[in-house]
Amino acid sequence: MTLKRLITAGILIAASANAAAAPSAQAILAASDAIRNPGKPFALTVVLVEYRNARQVDSNTLTVYSKADANSGQFRSLIRFVAPARDANKLMLKNGNDLWFYDPSSKASIRLSPQQRLLGQAANGDVVTVNLAKDYKAQLAGEESILDGDRQSRRCYKLALAAVSPDVTYHHIEMWIDASNSRPVKARFYTESGQLLKTAYYRRYQPQLGAERPTETVIIDGLDPNWVTVMRYSDYAWREVPEAWLQRDYLPRFKPE
Amino acid sequence: MRALLLPLLLLAAAPALADDDDAALLLADQTKATAEQGGDWQVYTEAAVSEWRPQGPGLAVHGSRASLDARFDKTFAPGWRAVFADRLDLNRSDGAAGNSDYNTLKEAYLSWQAAPDRIADLGRINARNGVAMGYNPTDYFRAGALRTVVSLDPHSLRENRLGSAMLRGQTLWNGGSLTALYSPRLADQPSSADFNPDFGATNRHDRWQIALSEKVSDTLSPQWLLSGGAGQSPQLGMNLTALPNDSTVAYLEWSGGRAPSLAAQALLRPDDAAFRSQLSTGLTYTTQNNISFTAEYEYNGAGMDEAAWKSLRHGPPAAYGRYRSFVTKLQELPTRDNLFLYAVWKDALVKNLDLTAMVRHDLVDHSRLQWLEARYHWPRVDIALQSQLDTGEPGSTYGAVPQRRLWQALARYYF
Repeated sequence: MTLKRLITAGILIAASANAAAAPSAQAILAASDAIRNPGKPFALTVVLVEYRNARQVDSNTLTVYSKADANSGQFRSLIRFVAPARDANKLMLKNGNDLWFYDPSSKASIRLSPQQRLLGQAANGDVVTVNLAKDYKAQLAGEESILDGDRQSRRCYKLALAAVSPDVTYHHIEMWIDASNSRPVKARFYTESGQLLKTAYYRRYQPQLGAERPTETVIIDGLDPNWVTVMRYSDYAWREVPEAWLQRDYLPRFKPE
Repeated sequence: MRALLLPLLLLAAAPALADDDDAALLLADQTKATAEQGGDWQVYTEAAVSEWRPQGPGLAVHGSRASLDARFDKTFAPGWRAVFADRLDLNRSDGAAGNSDYNTLKEAYLSWQAAPDRIADLGRINARNGVAMGYNPTDYFRAGALRTVVSLDPHSLRENRLGSAMLRGQTLWNGGSLTALYSPRLADQPSSADFNPDFGATNRHDRWQIALSEKVSDTLSPQWLLSGGAGQSPQLGMNLTALPNDSTVAYLEWSGGRAPSLAAQALLRPDDAAFRSQLSTGLTYTTQNNISFTAEYEYNGAGMDEAAWKSLRHGPPAAYGRYRSFVTKLQELPTRDNLFLYAVWKDALVKNLDLTAMVRHDLVDHSRLQWLEARYHWPRVDIALQSQLDTGEPGSTYGAVPQRRLWQALARYYF
């Protein structure tokens, strides 16, 4: 083997070792999904507080049972409204684009279109319980230091996510993920025309269900930055969700523990 | 100089938050929200005042109503659940004849979830079927279920009604379910006594129903129903919804089977049993600014066509009155073809203000009901203003409603 060949081989080995050390954009995204979403069926309580022009205009409490689909990897959720009193015990089922709303008073199961979901508070659930790596193709757009939701400087991978199927809520997403621990820090969600729909900060990391997970998401509306929604999560618990429950006909039966 | 420049350069390079983001995070820092706990009881009280003007000449009539609505739902042992729902309406009107008090025992039943996918219920249950909004042909247990009407909003009509006494069992599997119920005969005649549970209105005949749902694809999950009972032929029903696009839900609800016409039943005419269909189909479209429009076509094969309707309207008033009263009790459509339009604008211009508009148009006699509501809500209080206008020729479906114009203002408090 000539010296030249030896050097070439050495460079190739070094290059491949380097490639193995730098995780792919898709792997970074999947690791950050795993931090937001527990790996087994779970339940939690979500408090949503909505502000307009710095004034609180709404507050809701929901109980959510979630389970990932074995095939698609996407979460299916049963949601029960706890407060305010007007909405107490109303239910929602989200299974992909199959979305049903149930009111126990009128016994009415109403199917909702994705547009109706997008306009309601449930849309904010998409920012939280969604496996982005399943629906988006990630590209590394760079590395930069940004301030996280707790105003700490974080060295982040900036990922550019493009939807792989047309039926997802957001056409493309910019996402900042902590380079040291794969925690999601911030995301921006866009329409096809490039209109910013919302900005999300994932913050208040706490140990929950075996990992450090964000227990608060702050969502800023893209069109009206004075419209802010704070989502706070508590009462994390592992909860088995039988497949048979994830359908319209189970909604009248669903009662969280 | 260098010593001065370095911190400035570092400052320029340091990450910063956009002003909007910083303000939002400050709000989040100050948020003191804690999760509220759900209770077993859900109770509200409502007070309403109304004024209506009759069709033709006549003085305005004033009325008032006080209502108490309570719902209890408790898991009292693993797998065991008790549900109770009751409503009391106290109505006062100009003249003692307008006074009427009704207690509606909506539900009272026990539920036993023997396994995660197997459930049995016993008691008075509001068993409701149907995906359509204005007319539900597969809602077989709606007949006789209304004791009093507090609002013509279809949501209110579904909510404020009597359940039927029944034994019901359900089994579920991944993507489907099977429900069977039996509702026995318990009484002969409805009762108008204030606090009567009125099983005579809901359990005058033995009835049964089987419902099967099975997922066909990710987006299609039809429901099939078979319903029957003493003195009637089994009726087959179907409910289907689809998403033509991201903004639209399409639905189809159909029921069919051998049955006499409503006229034969109401007027005790010779049996004219034949295969008859009822159908309700429509679209709900939601705009980007949160307005949902629903347009629904409604067909009642047991109702009257134009010729029969004309003849009844111009015939003996007693027969006409009997037919109208019979059809109203069943919550059926008196004529064959109807159109239903419904629009809701949530957070209309200001947060927490909801505007609702409804039109029912009888395509046979071209009479029309128009209903509007503006509702504003706080965390525990709703206030609403409703207006109703019934127009049409004398004796037409909506022209015969005593009220031509009705206004109602109400306030609701959630405990």
